[in-house]
Amino acid sequence: MVDTAPQEHESIRTDALRIVLRDVTKRYGGVHALADASLEVAAGEVHALLGENGAGKSTLMNIASGSTEADEGTIEIDGNLIEGLNPSHATELGIAIVHQHPALLPDMTVAENISVAVPGSVLAERGDVRSTMREMLDDVGFTPHLEDRVEDLSIVERHLLELAKALVVKPAILILDEPTAPLDQESVDMLFDRIRRVAASGSSVIYITHRLAEVRVIADRVTVLRDGRVRGVSDVDQISDDDLLSLIVGRKLESTFPAKLDRTDLGEVLLAFDNVSGSGFSEISLSAHRGEIVGIAGIVGNGQSHLLRALAGLEDFSGVVQIGDSVLSARDLRAQSAYMPPDRHTEGLMMSLSVRENAAVSALERFSRGIFVSRKTENEIVSGELASLNTKSAGLEAPVTSLSGGNQQKVVMARALLSEPAIVVADEPTQGVDVGARSEIYGILRSVSAGGVPVVVASSDTLELEGLCDRVIVMSRGENVAELVGDDVTEEAIIHAAMRADGHKRTAAGASSRQPSTAMSRFIRGDYAPVAVLALLMIGLGTYIYTENDRYLSAFNTSSVMLLCAALGFISLGQTIALLLGGIDLSVGPLSGFLVVVGSFFITDEKSAFVWIVGFVLMGLCALAIGLTNGALIRFLKFTPVAATLAMFIALQGLSFVLRDSPGGIISRSVTDAITTKIERVPVVFVLFILAAVGMEYGLRRTAWGLRLRAVGSDEESARKIGVGVTSTLLAGYMAVSFFVFLGAIILLAQLGIGDPAQGEGFTLDTITAVVLGGTLLVGGRGTFIGTIFGAGLIVQVINGATFLGFSQARELLFQGILIVAAALVYSQIRGRRAVA
Amino acid sequence: MGRSLSRGLVTVTTATVLLFIVSTMFASSSVSKGALLGMLPFAAVLAIVALGQTLVIQQGGIDLSVVGTVSIVVVITTRQAAGDDSKLLAAVALALAVAAAAGIVNGLLIGRLGLNAIVATLGTDTLLMSGVFAISGGIPRTTTDLMAEIGGGLTFGIPNSVYFAVVITAITTTVVKQTQAGRRFEAVGANPMAMFTTGMPIQRHRVGAYFWAQIHYWLGGVLLAGIVTEPTAFQGRAYLLPSVAAVVLGGTSLLGGKGNLVATAVAALFLTQLVQFALALGVGFASRTLVQAAALTVGIALYTIDWRSVLGRLRRSTSDDSGPSRIPVG
Repeated sequence: MVDTAPQEHESIRTDALRIVLRDVTKRYGGVHALADASLEVAAGEVHALLGENGAGKSTLMNIASGSTEADEGTIEIDGNLIEGLNPSHATELGIAIVHQHPALLPDMTVAENISVAVPGSVLAERGDVRSTMREMLDDVGFTPHLEDRVEDLSIVERHLLELAKALVVKPAILILDEPTAPLDQESVDMLFDRIRRVAASGSSVIYITHRLAEVRVIADRVTVLRDGRVRGVSDVDQISDDDLLSLIVGRKLESTFPAKLDRTDLGEVLLAFDNVSGSGFSEISLSAHRGEIVGIAGIVGNGQSHLLRALAGLEDFSGVVQIGDSVLSARDLRAQSAYMPPDRHTEGLMMSLSVRENAAVSALERFSRGIFVSRKTENEIVSGELASLNTKSAGLEAPVTSLSGGNQQKVVMARALLSEPAIVVADEPTQGVDVGARSEIYGILRSVSAGGVPVVVASSDTLELEGLCDRVIVMSRGENVAELVGDDVTEEAIIHAAMRADGHKRTAAGASSRQPSTAMSRFIRGDYAPVAVLALLMIGLGTYIYTENDRYLSAFNTSSVMLLCAALGFISLGQTIALLLGGIDLSVGPLSGFLVVVGSFFITDEKSAFVWIVGFVLMGLCALAIGLTNGALIRFLKFTPVAATLAMFIALQGLSFVLRDSPGGIISRSVTDAITTKIERVPVVFVLFILAAVGMEYGLRRTAWGLRLRAVGSDEESARKIGVGVTSTLLAGYMAVSFFVFLGAIILLAQLGIGDPAQGEGFTLDTITAVVLGGTLLVGGRGTFIGTIFGAGLIVQVINGATFLGFSQARELLFQGILIVAAALVYSQIRGRRAVA
Repeated sequence: MGRSLSRGLVTVTTATVLLFIVSTMFASSSVSKGALLGMLPFAAVLAIVALGQTLVIQQGGIDLSVVGTVSIVVVITTRQAAGDDSKLLAAVALALAVAAAAGIVNGLLIGRLGLNAIVATLGTDTLLMSGVFAISGGIPRTTTDLMAEIGGGLTFGIPNSVYFAVVITAITTTVVKQTQAGRRFEAVGANPMAMFTTGMPIQRHRVGAYFWAQIHYWLGGVLLAGIVTEPTAFQGRAYLLPSVAAVVLGGTSLLGGKGNLVATAVAALFLTQLVQFALALGVGFASRTLVQAAALTVGIALYTIDWRSVLGRLRRSTSDDSGPSRIPVG
């Protein structure tokens, strides 16, 4: 389709073009996100990309930065055709993008987030890496400490960090996706200054925004997108605001809307807000009459969703919300409002349940006699409701996943209406809904409103608000910047109000109002606090046992404790890796036993040294194969880590017994002696274990693979965005788990001295205990190998010490149990993330 | 009841019927009257215990403390009663109190304080095992005559424990599937965030899962005390992996959500008969275990793999995100 939008003065020399996107098309399902969109940006230019919500701006930039692949079209950089762009390749080409939602790893520190995303050569360029980091952060006015955890940063600080990461690579092409949304005026001034500096150095800047005022301040040229097509390109000083707005608005009307409320005979005021404020929005006041549908408009992310969640009673607010005569608290609203969330899949539907179960769940008392739900009544009422909404599904028992987006949304509506709510709150009610069903949803909302239940709708689709709503408030940075009523509710008026609002936040939400972190606070919230606690505990316990029984520190006992500790310790190092990845490996115990059994066929006195070596190599290869299988089951077949490694647990048990149905194969004495060699009273393998743990710890903190490992465990999606290979990291991770089990099995081989198929299983739970005691979290991304040394050490000390103290097994287990529960509780309270919604 | 039978129930029932046919054909001794009477009580206990595990898994959790609870219930029932029928009721009641307390602790730690289920139940399990040693010193004793009669006896030629299992399965599945609370319980397991937005108290359901699970373990443990003539002090150890395996084979997802309770019970019968069949064939422990692992893997694969996406992945196996940079720069 040829567009006739004005192609204004082209004041660009084509030989200086830095990046050219030509005729780019991207479809999602049947919908064009982009259609033949082209963009040319010259070197040294700041180019604004302007358009409404959903115009295709972010999609175009994701294509330019390699995180989305175009269906059609080409990318040229400095005149070279680029094919199959991906994020890491884009980085090599000098493309840096500041995402609207920062791609950061919450469990890692500021310094680590920089290390994992910025090439080491850049950081090392001017000598000291840490001072380079500090400089790049100071440059954007980022004040927190390098060792602060990103999880603890405010939204503004996260955005500044994201910006600093992009600026430090001195990008040839810098893409900023709505960078000012969360920033205060001071930060915006700083940002614009940095953008000018980048452009002055000859780089190109692409600046996505919704705000005309910003375009005027910062950009040289502007491209306007609408419905995925380019509607115009112009020098900024050659085009007026009104002309720009006329390019932005004017989408074609696709759906039909029900007739609006007749304003000649308005009823009483039914819904009133007085100075409603909460997180992300402030001082919203409104009075809506009976039958009016209230629209909440604005650029996405200006507080609309927070306001709606407050109206649904899901977030706290101050001020008064009144429906009819009754004032409703957040608690009342939570019980009485019906909320339709913007994302049906995460917050709307129980995807594994049927249509009926989804629709009925918040109105079960209506179908019940006593505590029992009457299926007959339920079927009648639910199918009646679904039919009145014209829902198309293969019956009440069809899985809700089998429905189209529009029909899924109708199921959400049916649930809302069946609960006979006092108010209906709908956030993006037609997102992902086809045109026909949209009209029906509009009709339903209109009839609900006509029936005397207030309806509040937020939408990023301005045309939808124009067609549907009788009263619209336009929000910008959390405040109501315009209220439009009746015939004044037009796309143009809404967009004018939203895009012309240019005031930046006076005080940005949560900006550095908290105390700066101290070395002490960072330590307590850091990974090494558990280590200190455990070390103190071990010293205390050891002292106590020694005072009770002085044979405790005899050469024999200390050696044997260290040997036990090394075996458990090596396997626990493996388990630490699994937990860091956000998984778990239940199969480590039986694997250790299995490997010993394998070894017992080769490493005996009858065999030569060469066969021994073959045996060890074979043990190692078996371990790697098992690890790879675990990883593949989890990554490719989508088994949960528990399911995959549980099946492996049972299988390995069986395999051990296949090889030997009873203990056999005496391990060669010279091998066991070699493995248990001591220097003074310290077994060599114990020293090796400590060295391995310290080495792993160093690797985890300082090397690329360690950062990748933690990045994947912390946030898989962000890790992918910054160019970490998630699949390879996971597979290599599970293989590393098994490799450490192999190392532990070598010591076990010497301790057992025989291939016993019944041994090893107990290690699974012991390693989990050790790792958790050491402070590694089961949610992934956070942990330490040093902590694992102490966790394993403490377990062995408790078991060993119990015999010296003459403890019964009951007291020993009691102590262990209290230790596990207390550690889990203390760690989760100090620094854990709450798993519960 | 549901008009459409769940996929899990159909799958596991078919597998069980096939297993009995194969048993009759290749190892008829495993379906002799004596063999069945020996097998069924253990299947019944596993079914009851696995029902409890199902409730926990429905909330996306897992309960390792099943080992400790079953063990301690057996120990209390046998030790406290000490062969005296008149003390049996008090012993059983004490065991119930211990199980209920363990359930409440698990529920609060996981449902309210948000601890990881594996760690929290590992902790309570260790505490329960400590109790086992404290009570028994690791030395078992036999049960009372009355308990042996209740747990191990026959009524109309069928082991009593089977009646218990059938009744408990019926009650649990009725409560979960047909009451308001049960329906909400399943919905919370399927998507806690969605249920939160509808205004439901989701923590209550999470805590409840661990509590009611323990009540199931308690009943299983009491019956077991009557069934096994010479119970060990660690009778629960045999129930952790099989209970999880029965849940998975019954088609309940480890990610939580809808529970196939009847299917769990049938899967318990399947797993127990599988062992009997293998024993009758003279297959060693090794092959038996391997067969179980294979059954579990096939079960998980059947239910959890999104076959369409796997095929899709295989088709574009060349475009893996981990692949080396293969982008020609023009």
